[in-house]
Amino acid sequence: MAVRDRVARLVAELPKDPQYPTQGATVFVDLERQEMQRGYTPLKVVRALLAGRGANMFYLHRLLDETLQPLHPDIPLIFGSGVLTGIVPSAARGNATSWSPESGVLMDSNAGDYFPSFIRMNGIDHLVLYGRAAQWTLLHVQNGRIEFRDATPYAGLDNIDLRERIPNDFGGTWTRDLAMVNITRAGENQVMSAAIMGGPKACYARGGPGAKMGSLKLKAILVQGQTRDFETAQPYKGYNRTIAQKLLDTSVVKHALKTMGTPFLYKPSRMLGAMGTKNNQLTTWTDRLDAEHITPYRSGMSGCFRCPVNCRPLNEMNQDAADRYGRGDGPEYVTLGKFGPNIGVDRIEPVIRLNNICNDLGFDTASTGSTIAWAMELYQRGIIDTATTGGIDLTWGNAEAVEELLFLTSRREGFGHVIADGTRAVERGHYPPAALKYRMAVKGLMQSDPHDARILKAFALGLAVATRGMDHLRNRVTLEINARINDDPAFKERLYGSPVSAAPNDYQTKERAVRVCENTYAVGDSVGMCRFTTKLFNSPSLPGLDEFANQVANVTGLQFEAPELNQIGQNVMGVERLINGRLGVGRAHDTLPDRWFDEPVTVGPYAGERIDRGEFDRMLSRFYEISGLDEQGQPEGRWREQLSAVLGA
Amino acid sequence: MISVRLPATLQVGTSDTLVFTEPLRTIADLVDALDRRIPGFRDQLDDSVFNFAVNDELLLHHARNRQLSDGDRVEIIPTISGG
Repeated sequence: MAVRDRVARLVAELPKDPQYPTQGATVFVDLERQEMQRGYTPLKVVRALLAGRGANMFYLHRLLDETLQPLHPDIPLIFGSGVLTGIVPSAARGNATSWSPESGVLMDSNAGDYFPSFIRMNGIDHLVLYGRAAQWTLLHVQNGRIEFRDATPYAGLDNIDLRERIPNDFGGTWTRDLAMVNITRAGENQVMSAAIMGGPKACYARGGPGAKMGSLKLKAILVQGQTRDFETAQPYKGYNRTIAQKLLDTSVVKHALKTMGTPFLYKPSRMLGAMGTKNNQLTTWTDRLDAEHITPYRSGMSGCFRCPVNCRPLNEMNQDAADRYGRGDGPEYVTLGKFGPNIGVDRIEPVIRLNNICNDLGFDTASTGSTIAWAMELYQRGIIDTATTGGIDLTWGNAEAVEELLFLTSRREGFGHVIADGTRAVERGHYPPAALKYRMAVKGLMQSDPHDARILKAFALGLAVATRGMDHLRNRVTLEINARINDDPAFKERLYGSPVSAAPNDYQTKERAVRVCENTYAVGDSVGMCRFTTKLFNSPSLPGLDEFANQVANVTGLQFEAPELNQIGQNVMGVERLINGRLGVGRAHDTLPDRWFDEPVTVGPYAGERIDRGEFDRMLSRFYEISGLDEQGQPEGRWREQLSAVLGA
Repeated sequence: MISVRLPATLQVGTSDTLVFTEPLRTIADLVDALDRRIPGFRDQLDDSVFNFAVNDELLLHHARNRQLSDGDRVEIIPTISGG
């Protein structure tokens, strides 16, 4: 059945009016025919999956044709904002969902900045995009109306230039009355690690969303207009103040996020011997990349819509207007790790410069940095040489070569064409099969963060079972790295609902903590809350399910208890696993790179630590058991029937 | 002598490093000593964001029982999750 038939059948089932105060429409946009249809997410879906990431899964499950390929125009790209997005402090997030061209499994990527909030203020919760436009297209959203505009003049523009052009052409000011998601040349050229940019740095990064958007010939979605408040079910601003105060009183916000941002984590990771270095051949690196060395270049902090935290460090290395990469937004910890130790760069200046280039070229720094590190290890081992790289010297630490390679990749020129194929380089014949041994990926997706998880077993399990591939933001039991919590068993038990071992390198009971985190974070994504300000990720005292339940009730009038939200989080994971099951994902894919099983950590207090295959397998079985999953990692029994009833035909 | 390096947000005065010459057997003793020197410091440290490192070794559990020796360099490090 073609996507238009699937959409028609689905739209016929959808309510024509909002089901609760503040609910926005789901707009189905046929880019090829320039047609639109609207409906609203049914209440039974909201009660099972909420909005944002959760309802995105409902729409993808209903519209996915797994007999096609991810970049086929009948495979939809779905944007969704959370129930609380644009309304609650630090809830500025939305998700972009599809079938990943990079990994071949579920693509679901989350971003903040201003677009997810602004689109909601236009009465739109979800955008379902399909069909290949006849020419490069820009969707212009204003006063709730969507218009198709010719984007041909913007084709070939990267992020900096496009964001300079748009206010000149349309009027308005970024962050005040303009917000946009867009692709760059990397997306136009369907580079596997191309992001959809949501701001100067903020992006829907993981799984190749930029390539997917490029396959539809959609250059940008521009939202224009003044911000406004929502008409909610009952007063909510008083509780907003409670949430904002809770954010600002949390020590991790005061002591780290508001001052330096995420690069703080570099230091503890390297001291622990858990900093992925040279494609994870090593696990520690120089102190010259500690966050304090970024301080001389930190020109300020920035943030997302109505977020009181402002955790994004800005940088300025020079005031030379001719040097377009002398200033920018970032780097975050991920970029610091991926373009520092992971490629052997030991000075902060080139890391900041590469960060600024990636933001302009529109790259997911995690996948791009990892793909380049993979190539560097192949070069080191002689599996590829300058004949393969077109003369580029991929010696560790050669930042100039990496800079050149980034531009080649965005244009798919020379060896950049190989990097542009990402984790699929062997499948597409660029590398011999022996190269796969050194690919640090799970389910076809390179690792999101630089933390080498051979030591902390809960981290390792999370990376293995994450539904979008090797990614820490789906379920990481981050507080395993905090001694204050590990040394207080009673507190840790209250935090995760059952006892969890204090020893970071213990396999026992870690599945329980991963389960709780995965549920909580899925709910966070479905209400639109930032991960950094969600309980369990950075702190035990940030807003969590209780606060979400209270504010969802205020905003929508829908009543949920915290345990019900916890089940919703598990439902989201369950539907994602159903989607992955249709894409051929099973237990064998819930695993880790061979290096982590076979090679021990050689430095630090946990030298000798690796992942034991037998212990890991038993931990995975326990995780499946407490998650209601069968032997292939699929929802089972009555729960599966309940999910099927929600999802419909 | 044991030196303690404090993060910027916990610093009192201009120096980021405090030096203790009295015998301190464990991190718990060190916390007591810090609280004596900076009243209220113990409460500030009773927070999951802060980890201890001894001679660049990050302590992930049994932190307060960690033995100290003369000449050790202790550091208090805020730890967050990244993104």
